[in-house]
This record gives sequence, C-alpha cells and structure tokens, in this order.
Amino acid sequence: RGPAGLGMAVAAFERRVLRNAAEHHYLRVRLELPDGGARPNAAQFKQLVVTALRELHGEVGAALPVDVLTYEEKTLSAILRVISSGLVKLWSALTLLGFYQNRRCAFRVLQFCLFFLSPNQTSPFLLALSGNSRELVLD
Amino acid sequence: HAALSRRYVLCEVISEDPRCRQCIEDRVLGLAVRDAITRVHGDYGLACCSISFTVKYLNAYTGTVLLRCRKDSYRLLCSALPFVRHLESRGQRYPCSLNTLHVGGTIRTCQKFLIQYNRTQLLRMLQNCTNEEERQCIQKSLLSCSLTEEQSESGDEEDDDGTE
Repeated sequence: RGPAGLGMAVAAFERRVLRNAAEHHYLRVRLELPDGGARPNAAQFKQLVVTALRELHGEVGAALPVDVLTYEEKTLSAILRVISSGLVKLWSALTLLGFYQNRRCAFRVLQFCLFFLSPNQTSPFLLALSGNSRELVLD
Repeated sequence: HAALSRRYVLCEVISEDPRCRQCIEDRVLGLAVRDAITRVHGDYGLACCSISFTVKYLNAYTGTVLLRCRKDSYRLLCSALPFVRHLESRGQRYPCSLNTLHVGGTIRTCQKFLIQYNRTQLLRMLQNCTNEEERQCIQKSLLSCSLTEEQSESGDEEDDDGTE
C-alpha cells in the first residue's frame, strides 16, 4: 500500500511519486446516530456502507471495492478508500442512506482527499487535498 | 434542442416450461425487467431506465419482446436482462431467461432484423424436423407466407406516442 508523494519541506516526510497515484480516492466520514443506541462495530459499519451502495446502485454498486481504512467506534468516524471511478457512486449512496437497523441515521462527509500521504511506513497520516466535487460525473 | 434519442432492445423469452408462454404479457414482462434492473443497478438504475421505458411489442407464440428505453440508459437495461430468471403471473412463477437479439435506434431496424431472424429460424426448424409430418406442416406454412403492403403506413420510425 503505497503512499503518493508531494514535495514537502518538513524532514519527516518522504517524497515518493507513483505512476497511478490517483487510483483511489479517500473520504473521511462520520455516521450520525442521534438516538444514542448501540454503536456499530467495524464490521457492521462496513456492512452499512455496502448496504447503502446496494440500495442506490444495486449489486453492481455493492461489488464496488470500498475499504474502511480506519474506524473509531466512539465517534463513529472512519476513513474510506474507494477506487477513483466509484467515488460518485459511494458518495451518493452514503448521502441517501437514512436508516441503520431501523434507526434514523445520516452520513456526513467531512473531507474528500485524492492522496494519502505517509510520513513513514508505520503510521498513516492523511493530508487533505480538496478535489473539486463539481467536476465529478456519474457515468 | 437536443433530439429525444431512444433505443429499442429486441429479445426473446427462452423457457423449458410451455406454460411460460401464457405469461408473456406487457405488464408481466415490464415488472420482471424492472425488478431485474432494481436488483442489479439499484434505485438509481431503476429511475434512469424507467424514463421512456415501455414494452413496445410482444409475440407470445415466438416469445419475441421489443423493449424501449432512453439511449442514455440502454446499457443499464441490457446488462440487467440476463438477470431475469422467471415470469410471474397470477401467483405462478415460471422459470425463463431473456436472450438479447438486437439493439436498434428505431423500431424499423428491429423489425428488419426480426424478419431476417425469423426466416433463419424457420429454415433451421425445417432442418431439425424429426418426422415427415412436421416437415410437411412447416413447408406448407412457409409457402403460404406472403408480404402484404399495408394500406395506411403508420409512421413507425421513431415512435413517439408521448408516453414518458
């Protein structure tokens, strides 16, 4: 899992340039569950994302390669990785998801990133490079 | 203004159960196709394909079906057709599959294809006859076919009956 590089002045960062650096896009999301009930664990969270894709985009959507890179059960926030061509499907599916186990919920997309920058191999660090969402097209 | 482009998808219903033929109605097929689109492409796919979607022509004897949809969504429709597994009518389910024969931009091109396809199908049936009686039957049918010129040519090019 390679990080894409940018030139940085800070010594802690390493410069690496990948050929297909924009293969994946990254979304930092938070699930809002206002009813204060039991929180989903990592597996249930992933299942919820897949369910959202299946409802809006069918079996084809549910088969989209989406990874939950990090998940924090306490805050219900996660970093999702999706193949670039599937970003619009994923984002639209998360936007339109309204229920988790018959409980009202909503996904908030906090950040959208094109690259994933790692200062060293062991601890991933997310650098936000905001993409222009108006250029996104669903094909 | 942009032209309203449609695609006409010609397919045939393949089934081992002869009772499936009586299910071949526009409402039954429309529901089966819509259900398959929902399963494969979700709510978004169903909404896209439902614009201008209709079953344009049916032939229960040959199992031929002509579907119409928007040009933008014909790929969603075509990719979902193999996922139609049965037809449901009056509480009964009959397993079947849809075989896509042709995709055309007008009804006329699909009609031309169908005429040619039916010709070759008839010839193949003649070759596969198991007994003389069947052979005589088919030969008689073939020879009695004739093309009649329609008196009133109802423009069947880009059929626009206003149903969206």
